[in-house]
Amino acid sequence: MKKLLPKILSGAAALALALTASAQDTVKVGILHSLSGTMAISETSLKDVLLFTFDEINAKGGVLGKKIEPVIVDPASNWPLFAEKAEGLLVKDKVAVVFGCWTSVSRKSVLPVFEKYNGLLFYPVQYEGEELSKNIFYTAEAVNQQAVPAVDYMLADGKKKFYLVGSDYVYPRTTNKILKKYLKSKGIADADIIEIYTPFGHTDYQTIVAEIKKFSAGGKACVISTLNGDTNVPFFKEFANAGLTSENCPVVSFSLSEDEFRSLPTKDLVGHLGCWTYFMSLTTPENKKFVADFKKWLKTAPAGVDRNNRVTCSPMNLSRTGVYLWKQAVEKAGSFDVDKVREALPGQTFKAPEGKVTMQENHHLINPVFIGETMANGQFKIIKSLGPVAGEPFSDKFLK
Amino acid sequence: MILRRLNNLRPPTRSTTVAALVWLLCYIFAIPLSAANHRAVLVQAITTNDVAVQADLINSLANVPDPIIEQALTAWRQGSVYLYEPEDQPKVPFLLEAGTDATGKSRGIDLGTGEFIKDAAGQPLLFTAADLTAADTSSKLRRVIKTTLDLLALSNLNPNVRRDAASKLGQEQNADYLPHFRERLANEKFPEVRKALTEAIAITELLDEKADVRLGAVRALDQQRSIPGLDFLARLETEAKTKPQAFSLDLLNAIHQARIHIERHVSTSNFIETAFHGFSLSAVLLIAALGLAITFGLMGIINMAHGEMIMIGAYSAYLTQNLFIKMFGQGTRGFDFYFLAALPFSFLTAGLVGILLERGIIRHLYKRPLESLLATWGVSLVLQQTMRTIFGAANVQVYSPSWLTGNINAQDVVFAYNRLFVIAFAIAIVVFTWLLLTKTSLGLQVRALMQNRQMAACMGVRTDRVNMATFAFGSGLAGMAGACLSQIGNIGPSLGQSHIVDCFMVVVLGGVGNLQGTVSAALGIGVTDQVLQPHLGAVLGKITVLAAIILFLQWRPAGLFATRGRGLEG
Repeated sequence: MKKLLPKILSGAAALALALTASAQDTVKVGILHSLSGTMAISETSLKDVLLFTFDEINAKGGVLGKKIEPVIVDPASNWPLFAEKAEGLLVKDKVAVVFGCWTSVSRKSVLPVFEKYNGLLFYPVQYEGEELSKNIFYTAEAVNQQAVPAVDYMLADGKKKFYLVGSDYVYPRTTNKILKKYLKSKGIADADIIEIYTPFGHTDYQTIVAEIKKFSAGGKACVISTLNGDTNVPFFKEFANAGLTSENCPVVSFSLSEDEFRSLPTKDLVGHLGCWTYFMSLTTPENKKFVADFKKWLKTAPAGVDRNNRVTCSPMNLSRTGVYLWKQAVEKAGSFDVDKVREALPGQTFKAPEGKVTMQENHHLINPVFIGETMANGQFKIIKSLGPVAGEPFSDKFLK
Repeated sequence: MILRRLNNLRPPTRSTTVAALVWLLCYIFAIPLSAANHRAVLVQAITTNDVAVQADLINSLANVPDPIIEQALTAWRQGSVYLYEPEDQPKVPFLLEAGTDATGKSRGIDLGTGEFIKDAAGQPLLFTAADLTAADTSSKLRRVIKTTLDLLALSNLNPNVRRDAASKLGQEQNADYLPHFRERLANEKFPEVRKALTEAIAITELLDEKADVRLGAVRALDQQRSIPGLDFLARLETEAKTKPQAFSLDLLNAIHQARIHIERHVSTSNFIETAFHGFSLSAVLLIAALGLAITFGLMGIINMAHGEMIMIGAYSAYLTQNLFIKMFGQGTRGFDFYFLAALPFSFLTAGLVGILLERGIIRHLYKRPLESLLATWGVSLVLQQTMRTIFGAANVQVYSPSWLTGNINAQDVVFAYNRLFVIAFAIAIVVFTWLLLTKTSLGLQVRALMQNRQMAACMGVRTDRVNMATFAFGSGLAGMAGACLSQIGNIGPSLGQSHIVDCFMVVVLGGVGNLQGTVSAALGIGVTDQVLQPHLGAVLGKITVLAAIILFLQWRPAGLFATRGRGLEG
């Protein structure tokens, strides 16, 4: 034992030396996504696409001549743990930037940490807005880039009755509150808007679907769904079994993208709508390259990355866009310093798969918006392109 | 009809395809020339790029009795009309025949000619659906197609199709459709379709210029107790406020009366619906909890792995489905029977896992119930991770057989087939379990063990074997529950977690160690939940039920039906 100790010590010293040597030509970047627990199913894909993007950038020489070195932590779908892990990334690992969070509650939990240590976070998942931190850049769709255009589309389609159903947490409640105001401003009567919430993991949608059936009996009705994750399966099964279809009552879902369709019975979802700033079925050359490159990368991906039936979706695309915008800002600032990068970020543009995106002063993107219809193969058929929309987090600015 | 026949084809054996081909050729020669013209119109509609022209062409097909038009339009709407693009020639829209050959390819049927697409050598070309370009549709075009199909559907052979078409067309309040409705009504025999047609006529006539026609329409809706009419009547009433001169007092009164009558009808139908939903939720709870009523209730094992037995059953159903898809192809008649095979298979797999669990772990812990709690919880984690490793973390998809999709609609109450099945199944397994426990010698031994293990052993009951059989049976029941639940919700590694709390709730509330308690508790929880839900919402409803159960257990800690058994001994 006594002989072993010096060996270990010298080994550790050599390792530390190697680490400091490598630290000079790499830059540490944090990935803060749940890799276990209920959210793992969605967030793991974001970790994968981030690793892919880092490899893409490293292959072309990295950022400011430094290779990106990912520091992956697992907050395990546990909101307080998000804050703890974020603190670890900023204080212990001293990462230059963090890409992470999915649910709004996890973002709210890390926000004070990023402000306290002056960190930098890129947030890629559609959210309810009403928030603006100087330490967070939101590549995500704001309410006026997803919910409002979707409702506009329904109004233009002649819909007069709106059934808002959602999971019971901050994103659906805030979004629906804004939507209700918006619908009223468009002349929809109170009696024609129903708002209802179900717990996470709810499985019994009989009552709600029966109510929708009667609600939509007179036609011109639609459902706006902010149901999250698993609960969509019993909801759509019940919906189809009650004889409701996308023709007599279409459902627009804000939380369902191609990645979620991998584990949903898409047959029951055909014809229902989605509204995002990106669809995998986009035919731009940039998107074709992105999809092909990602699939190629999967073949040689590190262990633990699921290789089968992989798709791309809006949160994945926005994660990648965030990395590139950060890279450009770092290169413009000529430094990894958070304050300098933050100053350089607004005005950065990037030729993303969906078209040109621009980071605004309000830390949100100008991004094209699309409306798509679900097809049986789990892809969206794009039925309307709405052109670039400037993200605006505060609803009182776009509601009059 | 040709295509419908082709759609029903199983993977083509040579004889069936030849038969179909002969049939197809006979049919082509039999159709009159005008029908061929309509097909040319159809082909033009599909290949044109201008949406307005397309819409006109499609509209012109509304009165064509050629069944191939209906088939092709339906397929187009669903994105299964494909385009064959030979070089330097116009595009050819075609459908794929239903079956595939060994390499997963199938022949294409040219919509213009009704024949298979052939290459230069005259051999039929083979296609795979995944590589093909589907003919474009937009949602606007699909609506036009739908209207045309609805008009065609008014004379469909299936009365349900006629009914849906009538109500859909009525909502458009388009006076052009009135002759179609009247013509159909004159020949219609099915009361449901007659109702839908009368409703459609009345709703359309609400906008008529003549006051007496409008009055008649309102009265007709009143008589029909028409729920779809309610919205239109309400709209009329708001309109009356803005321009009262267009509404006579009679009309206003009639509208008011009609609304009161219809609203009363809605609340009756809601009442029946709530009762049905209550029973169906009870059935789900009961099916899920029955296995636990055996393993926890009768045997006294705090079995935290019960949920995972349900999950194993659900994955067994998924495997059976995949096997049947491989054997028969999806959506075929053979596939429809997969579920009947899945039930016993789930029972056996979960039962087998139950035996392993009992032999390996639980039998060492009969005298230490708290340790069995920890041990089974550990097992449940292991089982979840195993499934995650084998099937992946994402949920898997299970398709319902066609006889479990759809519903019966009686008096505006929707009875979904899968819900009816779940209720019937719950009754069946409760009766079966009850018979097993009361009428067989195994049941007698189980009950003896439950009352006093030592004494039963002294009397010569082979406690070891009875324990194993009982635990396997309880696990098997949980497995069947999993297969059953796959028709309603998700299948994923954490499926069990979402049911385990409900299961314990039912068993504890019913009174541990007693079947009739479990049944009553399931009924109580299910019905209360559904009665409260429309008033309190899903979240508050659930909380209220939980609070009520806690209060009830304060009052009667042993549950609804208290029995003395091992589970309750100090």
